Amino acid sequence: MKTIITSIAIFICSLLSAQTQYEQGMGKAMQLWGEGNNTEAVATFERIASVEKTNWLPNYYIAFISTIEVFGAKDKTKIPALLTKAQDAIDNATVISPNNPEIMVVQAMLYTAILIQDPMTNGQKYGGLAMEQYNKALAIDPKNPRAMFSKAEFEIGGAKYWKTDTKPMCEAIAKSIELFANFKPETPFHPNWGADRAQQALISCK
Amino acid sequence: MKTFYTFTLLLLACISNAQQTISGTVVDEKNKAVVGANVFIDGTYDGASTDEKGNFNFKTTATGNQLLVVSFLSYETIKVSIEVEKFQNQTVKLKESVNTLDAVVITAGTFSAGEKSRVSVLKPLDIVTTAGSAGNIIAALQTLPGTQNVGEDGRLFVRGGEADETQTFVDGIRVAQPYGATTNNLPTRGRFSPFLFSGISFSTGGYSAEYGEALSSVLLLNTQDEADQNKTDISLMTVGLGLSNTQKWKKSSLSVNTAYIDLAPYQAAIPQDVDWNKPFQSLSGETVYRYNFANGIFKAYAAFDASRFDLNQEDINQPDKVRVNLRNNNFYFNSSYKGNFSGNWQIFTGLSYGYGQNKIGIDDNDLKNAEHASHLKLKFTKKLSDKVKLNFGTDYFISKFDEDYNTTFKSGYDSNIAAVYTEADIFFSKKFAAKVGVRVSTNDYINENGFSPRASLAYKVSKNSQFAFAYGNFEQTPRQEYLKYSNDFKTEKAAHYILNYQYAKGNRTLRTEVYYKGYSDLVKYDTENVQFDSQFSNDGQGYAKGLDVFWRDGNSIKYLEYWISYSYIDTKRDYKNYTAEVTPSFVSTHSLSLVTKYWINDWKSQVGFTQQFSSGRPFNNPNEAAFMNGKTKSYSSLSFNWAYLLSQQKILYFSVSNILGTQNIFGYNYADTQNGNGVYDRKAIIPTADRFFFIGFFWTISDNKKDNQLKNL
Repeated sequence: MKTIITSIAIFICSLLSAQTQYEQGMGKAMQLWGEGNNTEAVATFERIASVEKTNWLPNYYIAFISTIEVFGAKDKTKIPALLTKAQDAIDNATVISPNNPEIMVVQAMLYTAILIQDPMTNGQKYGGLAMEQYNKALAIDPKNPRAMFSKAEFEIGGAKYWKTDTKPMCEAIAKSIELFANFKPETPFHPNWGADRAQQALISCK
Repeated sequence: MKTFYTFTLLLLACISNAQQTISGTVVDEKNKAVVGANVFIDGTYDGASTDEKGNFNFKTTATGNQLLVVSFLSYETIKVSIEVEKFQNQTVKLKESVNTLDAVVITAGTFSAGEKSRVSVLKPLDIVTTAGSAGNIIAALQTLPGTQNVGEDGRLFVRGGEADETQTFVDGIRVAQPYGATTNNLPTRGRFSPFLFSGISFSTGGYSAEYGEALSSVLLLNTQDEADQNKTDISLMTVGLGLSNTQKWKKSSLSVNTAYIDLAPYQAAIPQDVDWNKPFQSLSGETVYRYNFANGIFKAYAAFDASRFDLNQEDINQPDKVRVNLRNNNFYFNSSYKGNFSGNWQIFTGLSYGYGQNKIGIDDNDLKNAEHASHLKLKFTKKLSDKVKLNFGTDYFISKFDEDYNTTFKSGYDSNIAAVYTEADIFFSKKFAAKVGVRVSTNDYINENGFSPRASLAYKVSKNSQFAFAYGNFEQTPRQEYLKYSNDFKTEKAAHYILNYQYAKGNRTLRTEVYYKGYSDLVKYDTENVQFDSQFSNDGQGYAKGLDVFWRDGNSIKYLEYWISYSYIDTKRDYKNYTAEVTPSFVSTHSLSLVTKYWINDWKSQVGFTQQFSSGRPFNNPNEAAFMNGKTKSYSSLSFNWAYLLSQQKILYFSVSNILGTQNIFGYNYADTQNGNGVYDRKAIIPTADRFFFIGFFWTISDNKKDNQLKNL
């Protein structure tokens, strides 16, 4: 009897603390990221990833933050290491959660980040790869607002250069705003970004 | 009641767990503080980042033996086994990761193109957007230092070496017949369209022990691992048609590429200095199939090429023109598997089969020959640590050659070469790396064994510059032309010594190389031409030394990319039927290339110019006592190309070679006998046309509407 009670207690206790620790950790990491402290945020996500070996979210955020950092990097020497870090995190997340449209969107963004390093050389290949990821993501989940919006945003760049019609992309952005409005993340820590950027993009469309 | 207390107590205990403090400092190899490193206990949420002094300090509920993880961007992540209770004020040292992009690279001798190579001298696009290259990989490589511009031949001549001293490999497997069929003084082209290759590595000396049977140089072409997408490319050109299609499935993909070339319409529009009975015609195709396994990739590559032409060539020794009617069929197949298995092992295995058949009618005589050539390869790579990688493998080359002249004279041979090699890549630090290897081979036809040590070192002197040194012994079986008449040979040998300096920053690269190459055991013969009764020996020898400089800049002027190559060479050899050690006729002492590419945004056009210059080449004038004492005038050619993007997927392309129409002379053919005045008459060897024009329209049809064929032009 005593052993049973002890085991139940330990089980509940580990469950309780794990749950709270996970939530605390994720909350803290998200907060650090919100404050612009990317290094600390990534470090926290890395710690969470070392415990939560079946949860794709910590690696997702490591990849996402590192990719965004490449776009804004002033210190160009850091870029190769950031690209590697983002790709590793995407690979880890994909092993845990294959066929995940959210991860595909980040992969497409990472390809775009590689593309802009040297558009003349990388344009052909990485442009194609990014489109492939967006198309795959939308095939799995046609209602994913981030896939819909990011794809349109990616295509708009090319269309402006070729002076071809940007109307279809603007329509897609408008549609993504509807999807954003109806989107409910599974947990507070699931990806939920993009609505405000889509609004801005729509304004510059007009 | 008692049980309830136990339960509550246990729960309380687990919440108010005792905490231990862990503290210390993280430093790098120079004992400087690492700021912002992530320090945590593996499998827990407990951790912290280091402050500006490299210090960390955090509390943990973990006890006893644990793994402490320390990670930081561009450093190797380390895991230290610690005892929590005793880990206070400890120092942890991080090492810079040698896998990052700025680590030292062994560069001596090698030019790489492709996104995988870290110090790329050429980009994949360059092969095809270089004016004057006309989509020929070989012509684009001829704008790099260390190569000779031999306009009447078209093949790669590297650092004083003959064209057949360069060996071509596709996905690591040898291609026995890399060039298209041709006849005297009509230049050939590389067989491979740049379409299917993603990486090109061209080594002008000092290459790895993995590659044998090459005295001067290796050209490594790698097919793409993965197709981008489903697409169809259509090409309409003044010289023919092309069609290619790529299909991509979940784990596999297939690319097919075919081309039909017919020079007849072009010949009708712009007459050439060639007396064709039937202008050049060829039908060729290539295909690549790839299958991705969980831990590896299988690739199969196949190419065929059927070419025909019929022409009359002037011969100074004949009153009438000589009629040459050539039919060539060529087939090449290559398959390979590369896979990873447990414990950092990698396996590579592959085989190739090449079949080349020629039927040549020379006036009333018939020459037929056929070559079967295979290469089997097995290679293992074991990563012992992040710093040491071991390669070893084995090669087996099979060649069978048969020739038949007027069904009366027959010649040929069967040759098998077996080789094993081993090589280690060692990173002593991020700044200092070495590659050391050895290759041992045996040839059953000429009954010869070979032993070739190779070594290269690279040392990074500053953030953007490094020195590299390479040394190696290289051996090659004598060429087909000799082997078909005799097997009494030794292998030909060369030793390379190369010192390289490279500076690379952003889009600017400076690369200079000095080298010395010593040749020994070169084949000599005692007759005018190589024939069945020639007496052969291995008494030939020679040397080559020189300086190669390469400068590429894509930074200084917006939208302009250019590179300059300069080569100086001093080389002499005594081989073939030479009567003295002299500079051979394919060598220019000075060679200079300037390649420019300018993107005009408003016109959506890329405009390119290529200027090639080489100093005069030696020729033998029998009217003079000294052997090989003549020298041609210098060579100069300015080429131009213009790619206009009609829309994202439609390109109009125009190119013209030698715009200025410079009258170039490659050398002279002298008569065998004196004329009535006691003089040997001569005829200049000149290009078939002063200029070559090309117009093409390229259209890509694909799902994403972003791709086009610019990379293939």
